[in-house]
Amino acid sequence: MAPRADVPIRDHAAIGDGRTVALVTLDGSIDWLCLPDLDSASVFGSLLDLRSGGTFTLAPDVPFGASRHYVPGTNVLVTMFETDAGTVRVTDAMTLPDGGLAPARELCRRIEVESGSVPMRWEVCPRFGYGEDTTSISLRAGIPVATTGNLAVAVNAWGVDAPQVGRAAVGGSFVARTDAMIALSVAYQEPLVFPSRDDVERRLASTISFWQGWASSCAFTGPSRSSVERSALALKLLIFSPSGAVAGAATTSLPETLGGERNWDYRFSWVRDSAFTLAALLHLGYAAEADAFFWWLMHASQLTHPHLEVLYRLDGGLGVPERFLPFAGYRSSRPVRVGNAAVDQVQLDIYGDLLQTAWVYASTGRPIEGEMGRRLAKIADLVCDLWELRDAGIWEVRSEPRHFTQSKMMCWVALDRAVGLAERGHLGGRVDRWRAEKMAIETYIESRCWSEKMQSYTRSAGSDELDTSVLLGALHGYREPTHTRMTGTIDAIGRELGHGPFIYRYSGEDGLAGSEGAFLACSFWFVEALARSGRRSRALSLMADLLSRSNDVGLYAEEIDPRSGDFLGNFPQALTHLALISAAVSLDDERSVLDGGPP
Amino acid sequence: MNVWSAVVGGLAGTLVLTTILRGATELRLTRIDLPFLLGTAVTSSRELAKVIGYAAHFAFGALFALGYYLLFRALGSSGPLLGAVFGLAHGLFAGTALVNVLLPIVHPRMGSDISSSRTAPLLEAPGFMMLNYGAATPLVSLFAHASYGAIVGAFVLYGSR
Repeated sequence: MAPRADVPIRDHAAIGDGRTVALVTLDGSIDWLCLPDLDSASVFGSLLDLRSGGTFTLAPDVPFGASRHYVPGTNVLVTMFETDAGTVRVTDAMTLPDGGLAPARELCRRIEVESGSVPMRWEVCPRFGYGEDTTSISLRAGIPVATTGNLAVAVNAWGVDAPQVGRAAVGGSFVARTDAMIALSVAYQEPLVFPSRDDVERRLASTISFWQGWASSCAFTGPSRSSVERSALALKLLIFSPSGAVAGAATTSLPETLGGERNWDYRFSWVRDSAFTLAALLHLGYAAEADAFFWWLMHASQLTHPHLEVLYRLDGGLGVPERFLPFAGYRSSRPVRVGNAAVDQVQLDIYGDLLQTAWVYASTGRPIEGEMGRRLAKIADLVCDLWELRDAGIWEVRSEPRHFTQSKMMCWVALDRAVGLAERGHLGGRVDRWRAEKMAIETYIESRCWSEKMQSYTRSAGSDELDTSVLLGALHGYREPTHTRMTGTIDAIGRELGHGPFIYRYSGEDGLAGSEGAFLACSFWFVEALARSGRRSRALSLMADLLSRSNDVGLYAEEIDPRSGDFLGNFPQALTHLALISAAVSLDDERSVLDGGPP
Repeated sequence: MNVWSAVVGGLAGTLVLTTILRGATELRLTRIDLPFLLGTAVTSSRELAKVIGYAAHFAFGALFALGYYLLFRALGSSGPLLGAVFGLAHGLFAGTALVNVLLPIVHPRMGSDISSSRTAPLLEAPGFMMLNYGAATPLVSLFAHASYGAIVGAFVLYGSR
């Protein structure tokens, strides 16, 4: 049984363990898994190259229909395969260690027979190192083990016929009459652990219990609770547990345009996402994850202080050189990139994101202690020096740098938050200078970044192009959302960049060929801007529409083709789910001090 | 050779080692901060962690110096050069095993190879040769430890005269 070549992005679901994420297709294939960590090389990468990427297939060997759902409140996936011969339930999970001797990573697929006797076929076809490393398969104590270098994957199977072990794959067929289990146990830099079936079953039960406990502690009780809970669970999948960093997405190079060149590696943590991340985690009551993320952010950014990198590796390191893989690409979308050259760009907005993050952190009574305060003050000083520069902006355009309006707004936010933190005694410094430069930025924005013709803030100084990211000016407090200029901007963006419930990022060029889909985070920001500007009924209507556009298990990619509904870009996307949570919170009547308005 | 020279040498060596690491941090070569890593094992307060961490760091510095002293005694020789060799070995051990593997496992607020979604550690793990804290960290750490060893070796040699 070969995996399909054209699995839509929206036909994927995600499972993970806080270290890495596997993507499971509706027809039972795992076509994306990097080991040992999310930002490591892929072992299953057929998502990006059917021939050499590697995959783990498990499905009926007869025609079937499939439907699926997560076990409620978990990141454990259940796929129901219905055939003329009967019905089989496959439960997919990456188990969490439970205190016993567990493999470094464990992926389990439990097969339960609901009715009848169903012919099944499965195949584990690992391709280490993005398919570039040599994979050897041999038997160890009767268990097939695939190895390369210091990485090994054991294929444990119970309740199925003896697998066929080939040079490049392990698999077989069986008739499912009773329950069965196939589990991959992974070792990295240490000997393999061969679990018993009872061990795996126990860890699976414990994993379900953990996720349900974690999800049930979500403090959000608004009308979109189920979507918010799923978004929180997706976000938790993208939290790299050893450091607390949040990955932008689980994948690389899923295209923003089919067949195009807009294919990026999102398995890093963006400072751009930090304010939304911290606010979302705190709003939802996940204080431990919020603290871990903030500590990681402050620690990671120390190396370049007071300058910030656009993105950091999940382990907090710098250096993510971009290179191309010899993969065919998702639906021939090439190049397939690993690493991200955006790290070398100048993006001024991220200083506002960092100060806003610190502001949110301090607003909950958490301490900004001496050294941290001194660092934030130096960053505010740096913003005073830098804000007049051109930059690549939040969207990391690869055309010539510009005076992007959103960058200026976020510089204003940076200084406004620095002043606010100083007034609350969290940091000291040249507060009068921060105030003066903040006024200068505001004067610049109001005189250079407003278009009388469009009745909107513009994408950049002196242009009539529009950019949805300027809505962040309203969401982070540059302008009250009810201010005439902001309501005009909201109207213009809805009119010029809207397509149904969706919003495109910007008008104008960006240095890349081709176009892209509507940006889902922008669509949720638009909902939030509407809600905060008093147009709640329209916001509610749009929100309901957007929530209905998730895939069958409640996940979103980065973008969507408004015409076909196809997902585009990396998946699942942290920023989209963060924007969903933020919009849902803003639509909920009970607002907290975390909103981040001017102090 | 006398043991008190080693202890005093250990404290002086730790002073220099800490200064080198701190200087490298200010030069943005690394994010390593050993007192901070030690202190956060007992408190999540950044300020208090540094106070406790520095005390613990100097205590460990004196203790390691006793280990060096035993090695000098066993070899019947001491001095700054031999001390620097011990320091290099010490630094390699710290980067590959002590701080890389053991510290994350016993540190209650640090991520490790066995971290999963069940946990939300406040501190990132240092990684092999502490490379997670910056690409220059191994060089800085080895230089600092070699300096520490040289100072301990010098104190043991000259303190006994």
